[in-house]
This record gives sequence, structure tokens and C-alpha cells, in this order.
Amino acid sequence: MAKLRHIAIACKDPDAMAEFYCKAFDFEIVRTSDGPLAYGHHVSDGTIDLAILRFKTDQIGKGMDYTGLHHFGILVEDVDKAAKKVEALGGTHYMDQSDAERVGGFEVKLYGPEGVLFDVAEHPWTGTEPLPARVKEAAE
Amino acid sequence: MPKLRHIAIAAEDPEAMAEFYKKAFDFKEVGRPNGYLADGVFLSDGTLNMAILKFKTDQLGKGMDFRGIHHFGVLVEDVDEFSKKLESLGASHYIDQGQDGHQAGYFEKKFFGPEGVLFDIAEHGWAGAEPLPVPTKAAAE
Repeated sequence: MAKLRHIAIACKDPDAMAEFYCKAFDFEIVRTSDGPLAYGHHVSDGTIDLAILRFKTDQIGKGMDYTGLHHFGILVEDVDKAAKKVEALGGTHYMDQSDAERVGGFEVKLYGPEGVLFDVAEHPWTGTEPLPARVKEAAE
Repeated sequence: MPKLRHIAIAAEDPEAMAEFYKKAFDFKEVGRPNGYLADGVFLSDGTLNMAILKFKTDQLGKGMDFRGIHHFGVLVEDVDEFSKKLESLGASHYIDQGQDGHQAGYFEKKFFGPEGVLFDIAEHGWAGAEPLPVPTKAAAE
């Protein structure tokens, strides 16, 4: 089964917000990124990536001033198959990761029902648990 | 360590949205919440509870028409201890679950963190969500 492994928050001050969640819940910063889409920190509870980001584009049509929960991400076995399935169910492809070599983040972004944005990836987000089947494979 | 175990989406049609995620990702339906705050569908991927809800109040201050990811939830060992910690770090307590104490399977307390981001904490866990890992030492005993 696919797994929810990523939650992204849009904020003005990623440094302060990441510090809050690290202090509050002992989450750890596992990556800091500053790319074309956003600047911010990825904090992890060991299973899920909580991305605390200042976005540089308006991905969800709520304006550049929007702050709050932004999108989530699902780890799948096969990103192409998952994207095709989502589109067959009425989802809309938004964009692909421009750097095909880059792993540890989103690979494809799609809009689901009611315009809710989500990512799919087949390589785990940095600091997150792999799919259960891969844990088994890794042990073998 | 506390664990992220809940994500809530504000939807106009929770039923249709839940069907989409069930079909697309094989998430399982684990409940049909119907309360004074929201109605909807609880899904699970075996680790997290994904709540697809039609809210009845404007918890975020973004209007009743807000659609999208609404809040998240963190499973903690002790809600009272973490409530104190959160408030000491500047979070604002918003509401508690119900008038009769906690209700297992749902949030127990809601807080606004930095920049008004809403999140829940609970120590009994959301429906269909994995419990906290047993500490290694306790598991070995």
C-alpha cells in the first residue's frame, strides 16, 4: 500500500517555525533547501517529512501571502503507474521534478479532487521510512 | 519521540474525495466522524489517519469556503505535559475535545503554532493510525 510520508506547510519564516517543531516535538532538521520552488527546512519524526517552506510560486492558487498547510506527499512503488492512475481517476498533472537525478523530494505533483495538491514519489523523502515491502527487501 | 499521525483536509464533498484516495492509493476507510466540528470520512494508510472533512466552523479564520489541507496531528506520550510545553514555546491553546474529557480516536487538544498554523495533539491516537513505537528498552524487558 502507498504511504503518506510528507506534509508541507507554507510560511513566512521557515527558520523560526522549524525551530518551534524541533523544540516542541524533538523533530530533527534533515535537510535545508533553497530551490526554484521554495526555501525552507525539512524536519522529520523518523517516519514523515514535515516540510516548512517559504514558497516562491503560487502552486495552490491561494496567493503568495497564503500561510498554512499546503500539500502532502505519498510514497508509491511506481511513480509513473501512480500518476497515470491518478489521472484516470480525474486528477490533474501539475509538474514533474525538473532534476530527474534528484531524489528525496517530490517526483510528480498532481491536483486531486477540489484542487487539493499532492506529490507522489517512489524514492522516500529524506529522513522518512521506506515502503514496508522495501524494509523486507533491505533485510534480505 | 512524538509522531505525526493525522492529516485533515477540508472538503466540500468528503465522500467523493475519500473514494478518490481509496481507489488511487488503496487507503482504507476506518471511520465516519460526525460531530459538532465536522462530518466526513477517516482513511488510513496503516500509519496515518487521513481525515477528509466538511467543517462546520471556521477553525482557521480562512472562511467556510476554504478547501485544502487544514491541519495535522501529532501523537504524544502525555497530552498535559505537551500542552504545557507548547504554550511555553508560544503556541496558543484553541479547544479541547468535547465537554466530557477526551474521546479516543480523535484529537484531544488543538493548538495554533507559529503563523497561526493549527495542529492537534492526542495521546490515544487517531482511528487507523499506528501507536507510538515502544521504547527499545521497554520492548526488551
